[in-house]
Amino acid sequence: MLDYTKYRLKPDQEILDILKDKTSIFLVSCKKCFREFTHEDGETEECYILPKFLKDNNKKFTGCVDLDFLCNSHHNAKILKDIDFKGAEAVGVLSCGLGIALAAQTIEKLPVYAIADTIPQANNNTCETAYHGIALTAQKCAACAQCYLNVTGGICPIVDCSKSLLNGQCGGAKNGKCEVKGKDNSTKDCAWEKIYNRLSVQKSPDNNTAINIRNYAKPAVEFINKLSNANLEKRNQGFYGGLHPFENKDTTNEKPISSFPEPETVSILLSQHTGAICEPLVKSGDTVQFGQKIGDSNSFISAPVHSSVSGKVISIEEALHPAIQKKVKAVIIKNDFKNTQHESVKPAVNIEALSKEELVNIIREKGIVGLGGAMFPTHVKLKPPKPVDTLLINGCECEPYLTADNRVMIEHAREVISGIQILEKILGTKQTLIAIEDNKPQAVEAMKTQTGSSITVSTLPSKYPQGAEKVLIKKTLGRDVPAGKIPLDVGVVVTNVSTALSVYDAVYKGTPLIERIITISGKNCSKPGNYKVKLGTPLQNILKHCFDKPADTNTEIKMGGPMMGILQPSIETSIIKGTTGIITVDKKVVEPDTQRSCIKCGRCVDACPMELYPLFYAYCSSKNKLEDNEKYDVAACIECGSCENICSSKIALTSIIKQSKRIIASKKVS
Amino acid sequence: MKLKELFNSGKFVLTSEVGPPKGWNIDKTIHEAESLKGIVDAINVTDNQSSVMRFGSLAACHLIKDKGIEPVFQVTCRDRNRLALQSDILSAAGLGIENMLLLTGDHTTLGDHKDAKPVFDLDSVSLIHTIKKLESGVDLANNKLDGEPPKFCIGAVVSPCAEPLEPQLMKMDRKIKAGVEFFQTQAVYETDKFAKFMEKAKNSGIPVMAGIVILKSVGMAKFMNENVAGIHVPDNLIEELKKDKEKTKSGQTGIEIAARLIKDLKPYCQGIHLMPLGWDDKVPQILKLSGLI
Amino acid sequence: MLVTQLKSKEELLTIIKKPAFVIKCTGCKEVLFPVTEIDEFLKTAEITVSDIISTDYICNTDFALKLSEKYKSEISNSLNIIVFSCGIGVQSISALLENKKVISGCDTLYINGFQGLNTRENNCRQCGQCYLSETGGICPITACSKSLLNGQCGGAKNGKCEVSKEMECGWERIYKRLELIKETQKLTGDIKVRDYLKLL
Repeated sequence: MLDYTKYRLKPDQEILDILKDKTSIFLVSCKKCFREFTHEDGETEECYILPKFLKDNNKKFTGCVDLDFLCNSHHNAKILKDIDFKGAEAVGVLSCGLGIALAAQTIEKLPVYAIADTIPQANNNTCETAYHGIALTAQKCAACAQCYLNVTGGICPIVDCSKSLLNGQCGGAKNGKCEVKGKDNSTKDCAWEKIYNRLSVQKSPDNNTAINIRNYAKPAVEFINKLSNANLEKRNQGFYGGLHPFENKDTTNEKPISSFPEPETVSILLSQHTGAICEPLVKSGDTVQFGQKIGDSNSFISAPVHSSVSGKVISIEEALHPAIQKKVKAVIIKNDFKNTQHESVKPAVNIEALSKEELVNIIREKGIVGLGGAMFPTHVKLKPPKPVDTLLINGCECEPYLTADNRVMIEHAREVISGIQILEKILGTKQTLIAIEDNKPQAVEAMKTQTGSSITVSTLPSKYPQGAEKVLIKKTLGRDVPAGKIPLDVGVVVTNVSTALSVYDAVYKGTPLIERIITISGKNCSKPGNYKVKLGTPLQNILKHCFDKPADTNTEIKMGGPMMGILQPSIETSIIKGTTGIITVDKKVVEPDTQRSCIKCGRCVDACPMELYPLFYAYCSSKNKLEDNEKYDVAACIECGSCENICSSKIALTSIIKQSKRIIASKKVS
Repeated sequence: MKLKELFNSGKFVLTSEVGPPKGWNIDKTIHEAESLKGIVDAINVTDNQSSVMRFGSLAACHLIKDKGIEPVFQVTCRDRNRLALQSDILSAAGLGIENMLLLTGDHTTLGDHKDAKPVFDLDSVSLIHTIKKLESGVDLANNKLDGEPPKFCIGAVVSPCAEPLEPQLMKMDRKIKAGVEFFQTQAVYETDKFAKFMEKAKNSGIPVMAGIVILKSVGMAKFMNENVAGIHVPDNLIEELKKDKEKTKSGQTGIEIAARLIKDLKPYCQGIHLMPLGWDDKVPQILKLSGLI
Repeated sequence: MLVTQLKSKEELLTIIKKPAFVIKCTGCKEVLFPVTEIDEFLKTAEITVSDIISTDYICNTDFALKLSEKYKSEISNSLNIIVFSCGIGVQSISALLENKKVISGCDTLYINGFQGLNTRENNCRQCGQCYLSETGGICPITACSKSLLNGQCGGAKNGKCEVSKEMECGWERIYKRLELIKETQKLTGDIKVRDYLKLL
């Protein structure tokens, strides 16, 4: 593994000179990044050396704090501000320049001294600065703003040549080695000889006849400042962490909702919700009607299922559940294409006069669950054991590709609002917020024209995972949902916009949850769009109807979005209540793997919206101690996948996290 | 007098080299130069040679020119950015200095101010290009120069015995494209290698002056083989130096070798550049022995 | 923070030989990577491509190797490999595919900070001789346009640097900071001369 140690202690005498007027010192050190992640809580070695050194030189060592990614101001400014530096006259910092600068700017009361030097990476005092990649690599880039790699066979003349020469070799190379010697007389290869050799291999020796003169005015300070400030702002807006994945919503954003062709058979899973699985209410050979209840359970946390077609029950058999990827009981119905409506499918009478209980009962009977993906029975949410003051309607749809909620808000604004009003009535809440990302201006407009006095539309700058309940509550209401708690604990009920629509349908039309709007899109998709699909429609039908060649070796099918969607290795499954979309994405060139080792680049810490340190999960996994992840608040993880998505080592963090949670939970039970 | 004119007249051109002192008193250097007056056509004045800080090349050139000796102003890219380089080159024109030798320059870490900032804003090729622009009446940034543009004879260096040779040839090619008017080479001890080099280099028609460094001792030869880029002293020459210690010590062996090399190299090149490294007094003898004067 | 910019279309078209294999590195997702511009270029430039691969962290040699194995035939059928990434990515691909001409599609403008590609307010230029003790934690190498070590030059006006009105004078910031922590005596301390050997 390449050594990217970022700092080294200054020479003894220099440290003593810096500290000459001070007798008592507090130490702050950074645990170093870009190195093999080998110890979890251990202190940096300098933290052992320095106190002794101070003592030997008649200085008092008053304390020490050892932090990960000291330069991360969001995490560490708070910590540094809270430290009691009592008794210390100065703070000595062991870090690269970034950490030292942060400490100096944060600790206001005491002088902060750098007792380490940042280790230069260029090994070249002409080009001065060079940066290694985020992953471990030998190549360096000096960000000269005028890439010469095209004319030098991909070898950088700025970093690799000691004189940063641009027009060829000087006379200083001997035996292929540069005239400049590094530390300890180390030598390096002549860059221009390497360039010559590379170009010879490529049989394009020196086709660069132009005289290259470097433009030091590039890049302009103003230009860079503007860009970097804009990026910084974009990164920090809304909430800490998160990502801006490529949205890919353009293909379906403008596509109106259309009905997906009726399937010949449907496979209605008896578990399409969080909670107890339903018992079938029909048997093989029965004739069923459109909207007829065909499965139910006595448990409180459950929701009945209904037939989405009229026809005949062929069998009741095990079928693959697309979300949990396990077999569960399903009712298989042959469609007679008559859509004969069941008698229960009729609007409620005198809706205004219905009591809360009657409304909740309708919602339960019609099998309404959360349509954002989690499938939590809505009727359970509507009987909160604690006071609730706010109803938060989630219209963020921050997953790339998905546009179904967007279309629902545009095309069914009135129905969504009516659905929300039913929910408001049941919960008795004073305020309702509809949160929509700013990449859906039409939806925002549509909802605004329909909102009443108690309902406010809140437009949020788009960033993933905005739609995660906890993130959303913090962003819109400024309330922190503690780890292991739910929105209800802070007086909030969160519901998806599509759920509000199905509540409307249940009450005003009497339609149970038998169809839903999903986005079909992705690679090789010939008919991308937003479709109203009957529940139980086989995945195969979707693939056949909308895709040219859905499953080649480089493509994978996901139910949901690319970030949190569930991979479908088998196409023998069907659409359920929690299906937000069917998308196909390119298989990753390098698949995430639980076995890869972390290089401590710190990007996951930067991306985690829950402000966790996901790299520790990888560390515990590498030590086969997943249960230790409890220490690192794995319970607080919302499994948004940001860390895995940004991981420079491609560690399968989400599966590590899920497994850790399972292990910790099973340990608690026992 | 521009060296170009000598080459054009068909003369076999001879140059030597002096290094200014580390101090302000330049008398000794001028004396060295004067001792070669009439023997060589021009004298190179080095520019902080080997990255060791010394009396300036420009001022030394001026003082030598005052004594009626033609100087070759050596300019390296190590210590000055493009503003300072152009400014010094205009100053040289103002002082009547016409010949220049443009080099990238040794790296700062090889010299006596190892902790200095190496500049290398331009390199030898872009510096030639810059001077060509000055000669056309504009500076590097295309601003018009006041009055008549300067006129120079621009030289550059090449290492004919470098291993591998091709990158050097490529660089040489670029120097030619940029407008160089003569080459002085790194020290040559292998005639066959030089002949091969000239085989490739002669097509350009740019005159080449072979570099000669007088071998002072076996130690020096071995040191150069170990450490000096582009130089290889073959074993037979080292044996020759070993054979008669007294003769070598007196400098006679070195003189003989240099004279022989010059004789051997003469058919292939258009001139000789001597780098006596302090043995300026040996130069007349070498040239006499080689039949050039 | 990493900022890359698409090279000019003319510059690229003069060197690209068809067919080309295109690699877009989107590893550092939270940085400025000209995605739209690149797609626009590929669409309008009419380059025959054997494939366009969107992947991430090609600076990781292992990943680059996997990529080259997976697309072996496409790569061998191409005359050029065009890489849209920072300079590090281009180099790791070109080091891997030595006998192919690897074209850099972007100029790398800026890699702010030392932690590399993460978004940080502060900047460190790896000078190897940290001066922050003397300057109140504000880096004179990066905060001052001239990287002056011994105090303010005469170029600042209304607190702004002569180089850019959008840039605060680093030494004025340092002065204010030292005043705050009552260490202004540092400004009259030892004369500092930078040691460039520390960079080696």
